[in-house]
Amino acid sequence: MVMLRRKAIRDIKENFGVYLACIIVIAIGLLLYTSMSIAVESMDKAQQEFYTETNFADGFITVTGYPENKVNSLTLLPGIDQVTGRIVKEVRIIDQEKNSNKYLKMVTLNKSNATQINQIKLIEGQLPRENQPEILVDPKFLEVNHLSIGDSIDLSIDGNQVPLYITGTGQSPEFIYIMRNAQDLYPSAEEFGIAYISLDTLKVLVKEKGQVNDIVFTLEEGVSFDSVKDNLQAELKPYGFRSIVPRKDQTSHSILTSEIKQIRTTTKTLPVVFLGVAAIILYTMLRRLIEQQRVSIGTLKAFGFTDLEIVLHYLSYPMVIGTTGGLLGGLSGIALSFPLTTMYRNFFALPGLKSEFSFKYLFISLALALVFSVLSGIKGSLDILRLEPAQAMRPPAPGTARKTLIEKFSWFWQSLSSQAQMGIRDVFRTPTRSVFNVVGIAVVYSLMTVSWSMQNMTDLLTVVQLEQVQTYDVKLQLSEPSPTGATKYAVAHDPGVSRVEPILEVPASLRNGWLKKEVALMGLAEGSRLYNILDKNGLRLEVPDHGILLSEHLAKSLNVSVGDIIYVESSLRRETISQKGENLLVTGVVPQYVGLNAFMKDTELQHFLRQGEISTAMLIKMDPAEVGAMKSKYQNASNVSSIESRKDTGAKIEKMMESFGFTVWLLAILGGICGFALIYNSSIISLSERKRELASLRVLGMTPREVLRVITSEQWTLYAFGVLLGIPMAFVLSMSMAQSMSNDMYSLPADLPPMALLGAAVGTAFSVLVAQSRAYYKIKSLPYVEILATRD
Amino acid sequence: MDILMEGKNLRKNYSTGEVEIEVLKGIDFQIFSGEFIVILGQSGSGKTTLLNIIGGMTQASIGELYYKEQPLHEIDDQQLTLYRRNEVGFVFQNYNLMPNLTVYENVRLVAEIAENPLSVLDILREVGLENWKDHFPAQLSGGQQQRVAIARAIVKNPELLLCDEPTGALDIQTGIQVLKALQKLNLNYHKTVIIITHNVEIAKMANRVFYLKDGLLDDVKVIEKPLCPEEITW
Repeated sequence: MVMLRRKAIRDIKENFGVYLACIIVIAIGLLLYTSMSIAVESMDKAQQEFYTETNFADGFITVTGYPENKVNSLTLLPGIDQVTGRIVKEVRIIDQEKNSNKYLKMVTLNKSNATQINQIKLIEGQLPRENQPEILVDPKFLEVNHLSIGDSIDLSIDGNQVPLYITGTGQSPEFIYIMRNAQDLYPSAEEFGIAYISLDTLKVLVKEKGQVNDIVFTLEEGVSFDSVKDNLQAELKPYGFRSIVPRKDQTSHSILTSEIKQIRTTTKTLPVVFLGVAAIILYTMLRRLIEQQRVSIGTLKAFGFTDLEIVLHYLSYPMVIGTTGGLLGGLSGIALSFPLTTMYRNFFALPGLKSEFSFKYLFISLALALVFSVLSGIKGSLDILRLEPAQAMRPPAPGTARKTLIEKFSWFWQSLSSQAQMGIRDVFRTPTRSVFNVVGIAVVYSLMTVSWSMQNMTDLLTVVQLEQVQTYDVKLQLSEPSPTGATKYAVAHDPGVSRVEPILEVPASLRNGWLKKEVALMGLAEGSRLYNILDKNGLRLEVPDHGILLSEHLAKSLNVSVGDIIYVESSLRRETISQKGENLLVTGVVPQYVGLNAFMKDTELQHFLRQGEISTAMLIKMDPAEVGAMKSKYQNASNVSSIESRKDTGAKIEKMMESFGFTVWLLAILGGICGFALIYNSSIISLSERKRELASLRVLGMTPREVLRVITSEQWTLYAFGVLLGIPMAFVLSMSMAQSMSNDMYSLPADLPPMALLGAAVGTAFSVLVAQSRAYYKIKSLPYVEILATRD
Repeated sequence: MDILMEGKNLRKNYSTGEVEIEVLKGIDFQIFSGEFIVILGQSGSGKTTLLNIIGGMTQASIGELYYKEQPLHEIDDQQLTLYRRNEVGFVFQNYNLMPNLTVYENVRLVAEIAENPLSVLDILREVGLENWKDHFPAQLSGGQQQRVAIARAIVKNPELLLCDEPTGALDIQTGIQVLKALQKLNLNYHKTVIIITHNVEIAKMANRVFYLKDGLLDDVKVIEKPLCPEEITW
């Protein structure tokens, strides 16, 4: 069948624009699928391998001080397999820059412990020696701060300046995603890094004798975390137990895992959208091709070509498109997986994270492209079988010429030009094709809406968080919960300070049945102005005198609503024997975009903790010019763990939003390309179907622009229906996107502002206009005399 | 002469939406091997429908049709395709060439599926188009296109050549050239040729003429001494 193949190739060449548009849409879908699949598979594999290689812990405990020589005895508790005790201490880096806010988290290495948990993978250099002022740092910190092995860093440890030498770089499974705390939102290697130091060295530096403040453990096979938690808590209680966290809630692990989960969901949904649009284009194009080649099909049948041979011939078109799109998408996806993996390496310190050429995903891409293309091809070409050769040789019977529904609105119908009437009638006379096009436009529109709304949403989030929620200029985080009065008094008399509000943030475990969440429970003073809780309408809400307020995301995670009771525990609570925690009434559910918190009135929280009037941080309103001086004053204070200005927070939020920006624009651009391809295809079909009609209009004296109105009126009608259908689709898509992108650090509201709906309508209209401009040039160069001279 | 084809009481109904039309109302005929037959009739008389039934392009609603004693009215679609593939060559009034295949490729397209095809180049030489083999249909005159269509019909070496108004779209000079090609096939290669036409002059070339009127075979006329194409005019 060499000649039929040649015919197919020439047919494709003749309408190359449409086929190319289709190939591009397929390739975009598969580019996303392949690149993200390779990246996520590599992340998953690297995570598992790294965890196994380094014996990643199943649980993490913080405690004020637990005897070092008792650590191993914890393995005697049922279910506990291995235990390692460490000292973990955050220290400030002394920099020439006075206001600098750089910190290192020092984690001790205990070489004497044979069964080490969370082992360090040495990347470069060598491990720090015992009793030597040496440290190993995470590679990103070294790189970003322009340090080298052998350099020394001055650290402020317990008020003393201590120089430590860098012996190399290493990575731990515990710090794959390195953040100082959950409020940080974004890793910033410039300001925060991890350092590993010999236990003996740090003990000397912090003047600690025989106590550890951090314990990690692994579980015996088949044992659940919850079954050991109570025993451990009971054992550690007398030693100043602070928190116990299972692996799933460990910050780095949970962020990495949720990222993997989110990418997996995206790889399953987004490519399907693009392949679906490509299938619509292919189907409509093939239907038209077959209608156009009806006589050729009849001729082939007359000469004895079998139905199978003819169907296979017409399936060769989608197969060529599918193969080309599949290969192009697969190969470019593989190529993109390399920079994508590099980008992920910037966020996640995973040693084995690398991309490689994947025949598997190239094959899957090809298979997916072929399945979508051939299915749409089969749907489009099976009608050939129904045609008898004699019937195929005749032009098709004219379609029904009944009035369309829209013509019943005569006032509207009469106001239209003849060209518009022709175009609109065609929409209703080819219902299948119109429905496919409307669905396609609706998909494009909803993609654009979501993209637009995310842009709005991220802008809004920044503004709301920085101008309405966190209205303080400086947050002074205390190292320990401290009595409020004295601290507040001291800070209030600092230069430039106009208002000080104490705040109490404590780790808490919230439980509703088997659903449980570890969060920061925030106690706010009555009339607090420097941290505001807002309701759905953005109005400030006073924390109720009793009960607890939950953020929407938290309430959803715990499946509770207003009026429900939840059980709250905190490691800072002074327990009575019978009462570890308390049942509290959920008095409200409030939106919270950044962070995952529960809120109580400070006095109520203090009462719950039974610790008296304490606070953990001071929120300060002050003259911005004095912020630097305040930082200098407190940066070496032993009772202050960090000083963060609103500017610092703003920069972090903005950096996080920038990472969304890429996704938002990518989605909008890809949506636009899809819209263009769809409408361009529809224009070409209209043009070829109406060649004679349009040529007649030209001969009758209409300008190309007037003739174009026949096609544009058809397309604007499809566009209007597409946008109408796209609105509910956008709501569903926006909800699922917000849900999949929200996590414990931030939650994106599933909100579609009118601007997003309008903006997407404009964006979709733009892609329609661009496609129509191509149609205009085709009409302009229409050889109308020749068309009218030839027979159909 | 052997009977090549025999039709008995052939009827054909078409349904166009709500209306049922009887195009053939019971036709009986015999066609002998190597005959040159012209079917004459006015528009709507059923000529094309009869030709389509003879060529296996459609099947009669009622009646029997035998080709080399095999019942065509009883065979399935697949066998009918084989019949068209191996036994019948078609020439259409509007040529129906593949516009994006060259002259050579149009003919080879059919040669590729034939059991015993003739040489494509030989056939093109036979119809005088060997120098035009690399041209596309749009670059040829009507007569040349019709000769490509004839070449395409005979390249598979069919027993039966069916022509639907082969000169309908041509001027007289070109029409005569096409008719000469068809007569040559009939006389030199002993192919059975059936032509349907409005043109009564062409009937003078035939061995027998079938007159169709309102879906019935009105008359069959035997021509004792068929004329050459050069001897006729219109």
